[in-house]
Amino acid sequence: MRQEAPVTLQTGDLAPDCVLPDGSRLLALRGHPVILAFAPEAWDPTRAYQSELFARLTSEFGNGAAFLDTAAEEWHSLDCHGTLAAQFGVAGQRALFLLDEHGVVRWKTVVAPGQPLRPGQVLAALEALHAPAPATRETDASGGGLSRRTFVTATLAASALLLLPGCTVSADADNQRADAAADSAGGDSTLAVSLRINGQTHQLQLDPRVALLDALRENLHLTGTKKGCDHGQCGACTVHLDGQSALSCLTLAVMAQGKEITTIEGLAKGEELHPLQAAFLRHDAFQCGYCTPGQLMAATALLQDQTAQLGSAVEIREAMSGNLCRCAAYPNILAAIQEVQRA
Amino acid sequence: MHPFQYQRTETADQAVAAVAQDPAGTFIAGGTSHVDLMKEGVLHPSLLVDVSGLPFKQITAHEGGVRIGAGVSNTAAATSADIRQRYPAVSEALLAGASTQIRNMASMGGNPLQRTRCPYFRDPTQACNKREPGSGCAAIGGYNHVHALFGASAACVATHPSDLAVALSALDARVQTLGPDGPRTIAFPDLHRLPGDQPHRDTVLAHGELITSIDLPAFSGRSHYLKVRERASYAYALVSCAVALEMNGSTIGRARVALGAVASKPWRVTAAEALLAGQVPTEPLFRAAADAAFADARPLEHNAYKIPMGRNLMVRALLETNGLQPLQGPAGTAFAASVGGVAGQFAVPR
Repeated sequence: MRQEAPVTLQTGDLAPDCVLPDGSRLLALRGHPVILAFAPEAWDPTRAYQSELFARLTSEFGNGAAFLDTAAEEWHSLDCHGTLAAQFGVAGQRALFLLDEHGVVRWKTVVAPGQPLRPGQVLAALEALHAPAPATRETDASGGGLSRRTFVTATLAASALLLLPGCTVSADADNQRADAAADSAGGDSTLAVSLRINGQTHQLQLDPRVALLDALRENLHLTGTKKGCDHGQCGACTVHLDGQSALSCLTLAVMAQGKEITTIEGLAKGEELHPLQAAFLRHDAFQCGYCTPGQLMAATALLQDQTAQLGSAVEIREAMSGNLCRCAAYPNILAAIQEVQRA
Repeated sequence: MHPFQYQRTETADQAVAAVAQDPAGTFIAGGTSHVDLMKEGVLHPSLLVDVSGLPFKQITAHEGGVRIGAGVSNTAAATSADIRQRYPAVSEALLAGASTQIRNMASMGGNPLQRTRCPYFRDPTQACNKREPGSGCAAIGGYNHVHALFGASAACVATHPSDLAVALSALDARVQTLGPDGPRTIAFPDLHRLPGDQPHRDTVLAHGELITSIDLPAFSGRSHYLKVRERASYAYALVSCAVALEMNGSTIGRARVALGAVASKPWRVTAAEALLAGQVPTEPLFRAAADAAFADARPLEHNAYKIPMGRNLMVRALLETNGLQPLQGPAGTAFAASVGGVAGQFAVPR
């Protein structure tokens, strides 16, 4: 199967028609400016901290609050891993596009790796809605206004992006320029973070808020470590820190420096599975598989821990109680662990 | 999560100075509770001072007892042979709490400083005087089944969630700290505060005061921790009880009993302790002590069940500590500490 290389839409390009998450077509929004935001996380207005950002943007926007209703039915954000992101050429990236009333890209930004989007950027984009359209195009009466839909979309976009502490990796030249620009703009600073993961050292530029889990998944694309609850209750994000199991969702990446981090990607030796991985296959120790990386990391750490008491099934169950499996594959997980123990 | 500055420090003096100069600064060690609350929007420090690299990671002999560095992990403390054998209540409390991963991460200094599990504290959309002084208490008129029986105020009815703290209180552990005004020693039962009209202050620690170690005094009696929870494992206590018992021949020399999850601090039941001293241990005696312990309980709308549950738990904890009734599992393990739970369902090898 041949794949076209994705082309990022440029300013002045006509945006392709597409179906938005609420089922409407982008084409149907012609006549209104539209802001599309791509991010990996969903916007959830019931989260207090998101609401707070929302309120802040609202207040910065003056009378914007008058037509705003936090109970609005149109909350949605665009998944940066979805087909829409691919159509816009920004798959996997955090990005913001401002389309004018003719569906032409008037402004866009791909959020630099390592940088959150700043409120100023969003407000600037909203301001751009009021600026005169390019001379070659006619502006209709509705074009300069700010529709509720636009505002809500823009706000949620901003919030979603703001919430995402820094992404990626490697301080390549572009990133460094972006970082320098952000810093000189008075932004909160990121930190140089060095993480030793599966025997390799990675240099990242991260906001201190970034959890190890997010650094692994979003920056390093080590997506084997799963985000379940994100609050230390499910164990899906379990990794090894210096050989002991730990929750990457409750570990700030900056605090994992100096530790030997092992993720599920580091468990097999090349094509040779870890004995417990092989035992999981033999014992059918999973159904959906989402908790499996965490189960494997928790159990492999226990198996190599001399102080762990695993002499009986009940002791293994107790020691593994931090790893939930909604498919309830527990008996099979237990059998797999016991088989490796006996080997 | 709100933005914050992050600072890693190499000495305790640096750490204390760094937090002391920022009113919204705080220490972070294991982070298991703090990072979670920051994600929930409950806490928003402007400065996190990382103390996980400080040299408080030893368990050492100290004045006939044991000194546990504040940076020792919950796992390392719980599995230390010294602690398991001499202070099984401490190992039992630790191992009956949280999960393997969290125990690996959590520090001994941080564990007693974890914040309440009151659901209204953890939800920034609700009124909570502990989270936001002056905002009110949604728990008093709300669903308060996990809340306090003792020492609560009109401002707050939250309980303290740490299992470890209950065991340390019964053993009269001492907390060594370093603050902006220098080092000091705090008797563990005095570390946590009752809410009064300042429920946002959980402990007597000053801003910028860092726990450097926890000292277990010399002790040659038996100790035990017992916990009731809603799940077999990995759940906070509904009620718990720690006992430190020293016999004098066939009579009780000294009994110390602390109840957990019934107040904003481990609740030492001194009236019951006085009643036990000098007596021959029997079940009726223990029942009388438990009645005395709960005599001044003040239940809320949904937590009166904790009174009979707590009484029965305390009787059983005393019986098991004294050996009149067998432990549910090996001393110093989660199984010894669990009521119902895993230990009740499966045979545990001894």
